[in-house]
Amino acid sequence: MHASSDPLIVATDVSWRVGYRWIVRQVSTTVSAGEVLLLVGGNGTGKTSLIRLVAGLVRPTKGAIQRRAEVGMVAHHTMLYDALTAHENLAFVARLHGVDPARPVELLNRMGLAKAIDQRIATFSRGMLQRLAIARALLHEPRVLLLDEPLSGLDDAGSRVVVGLLEELRDQGCAVVIATHQLVELLDVATDIGFMAAGKMVEHAPVAGRDAGQVVNRYRALLEEGQ
Amino acid sequence: MTRRDKALQLARRGGIVTGLAIAGLVGVYIRALVYTPIERFQGPAQKIFYVHAPVAWASLLAFAVCGLLSLAYLFMRDRRVDLLAVSSAEVGVALSVAMLTTGPIWGKPIWGTWWTWDARLTSTLFLFLLFVGYLVLRGALSDLEVRARYSAAVGVMALVLVPFIHVTVYWFRTLHPAPVVMKPESPSLPGVMLTTLLISIAVFTLLYIGFLMLRYALAVLEDVKLEEAAHELS
Amino acid sequence: MTWRGAVAIARKDLAIEWRTKTAFMSSLVFAVLVLAVLFFARDATAVSAFDMAPGVLWVTFTFAGMLGLNRAFLVERENRSLDGLRLSPATPTAIFLGKVAGNIVFVGVVELVSLPLFVLFYDVAIWRQVPLLIGVIAMATVAFVAVGTLLSAMVVRTRFSEVMLPVLLLPFLVPPIVSAVQLTWRILADRPLAEMTGWLSLLGSFDIVFFILSLLLFDAIITE
Repeated sequence: MHASSDPLIVATDVSWRVGYRWIVRQVSTTVSAGEVLLLVGGNGTGKTSLIRLVAGLVRPTKGAIQRRAEVGMVAHHTMLYDALTAHENLAFVARLHGVDPARPVELLNRMGLAKAIDQRIATFSRGMLQRLAIARALLHEPRVLLLDEPLSGLDDAGSRVVVGLLEELRDQGCAVVIATHQLVELLDVATDIGFMAAGKMVEHAPVAGRDAGQVVNRYRALLEEGQ
Repeated sequence: MTRRDKALQLARRGGIVTGLAIAGLVGVYIRALVYTPIERFQGPAQKIFYVHAPVAWASLLAFAVCGLLSLAYLFMRDRRVDLLAVSSAEVGVALSVAMLTTGPIWGKPIWGTWWTWDARLTSTLFLFLLFVGYLVLRGALSDLEVRARYSAAVGVMALVLVPFIHVTVYWFRTLHPAPVVMKPESPSLPGVMLTTLLISIAVFTLLYIGFLMLRYALAVLEDVKLEEAAHELS
Repeated sequence: MTWRGAVAIARKDLAIEWRTKTAFMSSLVFAVLVLAVLFFARDATAVSAFDMAPGVLWVTFTFAGMLGLNRAFLVERENRSLDGLRLSPATPTAIFLGKVAGNIVFVGVVELVSLPLFVLFYDVAIWRQVPLLIGVIAMATVAFVAVGTLLSAMVVRTRFSEVMLPVLLLPFLVPPIVSAVQLTWRILADRPLAEMTGWLSLLGSFDIVFFILSLLLFDAIITE
């Protein structure tokens, strides 16, 4: 699509190990503005670790990662405070990032949480928490978005809202990396797919020109290979 | 030569150094008991001094080495530095147990009480407890890199804490004889006793080095095992 | 940037604490209990409550304060919100300062509430000495909180953080707490300031050295 016009994430030969175990091995990839890279692969293949590396939460053991814009992230954990309300949680993040104090309300409305705005999040359902976590990540309008299983806990309606949002962000020129098992739901958003196996990105290809059936079959084949 | 072979070689050398130090220790005691006069005021009890003071020195040295290596680790982030630091800490803890037991044995006949809150004894007690805490913290952290970083931070803090603790306890109260060795004008310890003491200090320093070599070799062997386990997994 | 982040973090921590009040109420009740129980831990015919008072005050403050210190990072652990802080523009320095500020307010409030009870229980007339005493309390609290915040950031990663914190922290509290006790009895006994300068400078230099050291080391703790 916008191939290599405006690279926002550049990972060069990134490896990362914990103790003596290599979790991520020699991954090189570039994600430019308007591109959505879908990371797929079985459990323990290094998807989450790669996301954390790109976010800068952990340092690569070898190689280098450049981020050329602010980062927003949705992780396994919500990064929210149970004792605070939805609005207080976002207001805190807004203060940290120095963004407009009106922005939390705007995003809460957008994510369909308007009614729960002053509720403590300890009372939230899994889906509501996931939507709030996404709102938290988008608060400062980052141009690099890293999402680890963004659809987890969401029902069909919720998933559609998030997928719609991601398409919008892609078209606005964000660089997005999504680690997921829900390949089919997210295929329409994606511009590229990276298959992960044993810490390596074994295949990295554009989605364009391939139909969903092909991609899913390839994914299944790779999963079986890995086992 | 593999890491394992190097570690085994180091362990053999460490064994030799430790053996030499133990032989030296026997020598020191023969010299202390047979050839060094009995101290006029303290009587035979003073003989334990030839262990107590040198072992105190060696444990302080061990902790200081751990503190300096901790500082080095934070800059170098080299696992070997971390392993050497924890080895030194463990040897230091062992040596300070010896210091804390010989102290009261000396103190009972000389001061008339097993334990006194004397500055040096108390400082060593706190230092000992601090490094036990350091080892406990290490045991509670499973991620090797996190463990190394956190314990290095504690090691550096311990290094800075020592002078503060010493001043605190010293100001609080002190019963200890004024420093008996390093007085420039006239060493109050008679020559023969001083020589025995200095030989003993050298011997205990050697013992520390021997222990450190052995413990470090063990740490490397453990690390090699971890490395092999990781290779089998992947 | 650093200040904005630090203030936001301290405010957020205090808001959470204000909402739940669990740690605060436990610390406060604990403080009152220690003050009351230690009153009876003596031979009333031989030791006056007044003689015991300085030691009791600092034992109370130390242990009550320690109960609250882990809270600051436990809150960040529950949904791994520490990652959120690290992704934000808040620097490690800002995070440390924010946590320290929140903890100082927390410990400070526990101290200010238990101080009048201490005066009441131990019958110490301190009105004239109050400013000096509060100064000493403030200095010791800074030392206590700076080192405690750094160590609590480490121990929350372990399984037994509640036990681990006191084991690691208490040796570091020897200089500030002994100084504070020495100063407190001199203040209560109305001794001249000249008798206090030594301990004051020890406490002051401990504050400066360990505050800076904790700040520098915090970077190594928080950055992976």
